Amino acid sequence: MNIVTKKWVFLKISSLILIPLMIWFIINFISIYDQSYSEVVRFFTNPINKLLFSFFIIFAYFFSALSISEVFEDYITDHTIKNVANRLLFVSAIVIPLLTIILILNLNL
Amino acid sequence: MENKSPLSPHIQIYRWHISSLVSISHRITGIINIVAITLICILTSFLIFGETNYELIKFFLKSIIGKFVVLGLVWSFSFQILSEIRHLIMDMGYGYELQTTRISGLIVIFGSFILTILLYITGKSLV
Repeated sequence: MNIVTKKWVFLKISSLILIPLMIWFIINFISIYDQSYSEVVRFFTNPINKLLFSFFIIFAYFFSALSISEVFEDYITDHTIKNVANRLLFVSAIVIPLLTIILILNLNL
Repeated sequence: MENKSPLSPHIQIYRWHISSLVSISHRITGIINIVAITLICILTSFLIFGETNYELIKFFLKSIIGKFVVLGLVWSFSFQILSEIRHLIMDMGYGYELQTTRISGLIVIFGSFILTILLYITGKSLV
C-alpha cells in the first residue's frame, strides 16, 4: 500500500470514528456551554467524559491534519511553503490535544 | 524546477452545481470546526485557572452574539457530519449519478439545518 492510499484509508477510518464522537460532543457542548463553573468542571472530571473528550480531540486533530494537508496539496504550488505548512500542521495536531488532555487530567472539582 | 501542475478544484472555471457548493462548504466548515475545537481546548484549559477566568467566557457565551456563535457551530458540525456520511457512501461506490448527487447534496444542505435543531433540542433536554 503506498503512502497516498494509506493516508486515504486513515482519513476514512478517522472519519467513521469521528462522526459518533462529534454527535456526542455537540450534544454535551449544548448542555454545558451556559452552565456554572462547577457544572462544567464536573462534566470534565467525569472519567467517561474525560475519555470521550480526549478521543474526540485526538481524532478531530488527526482527521483535520490529514484533510487540511489535502487542501495544501490543492492550493499551494511552492514545495518549501507546502512542507513548512504541513510540518506546522502536524506539530500543532499533536501538541494541542496533548496539552489539553494533560490539563484535563489535572482538573479537579 | 517550477511546478506547473494546475491547482484544483477549478472553482473559477467550472459551472457551479449543488455538489461544488457542498464540497466547498465541507472544506470551509472543516476549517471552522478545527478552529472552534482549538478555542474549546483553550477554554477547557482555562478551567484549571479557576472560576474568575471562566466567568468572562460564560458572560460571552450567554450573550446574544455568544448564542449565535454556538448555534453557528452546531450547524457547522451538523453539516460536516452529513457531508462526511455522503462522502463515505460515495466511497463505497454509490450515488455517482448526476441526479443522485444533486439529491444527496440537497439532503446535506437542508438536513444540516434539521440536524442542528435536533442536536440543540437534545442537548438542552440534558440540562
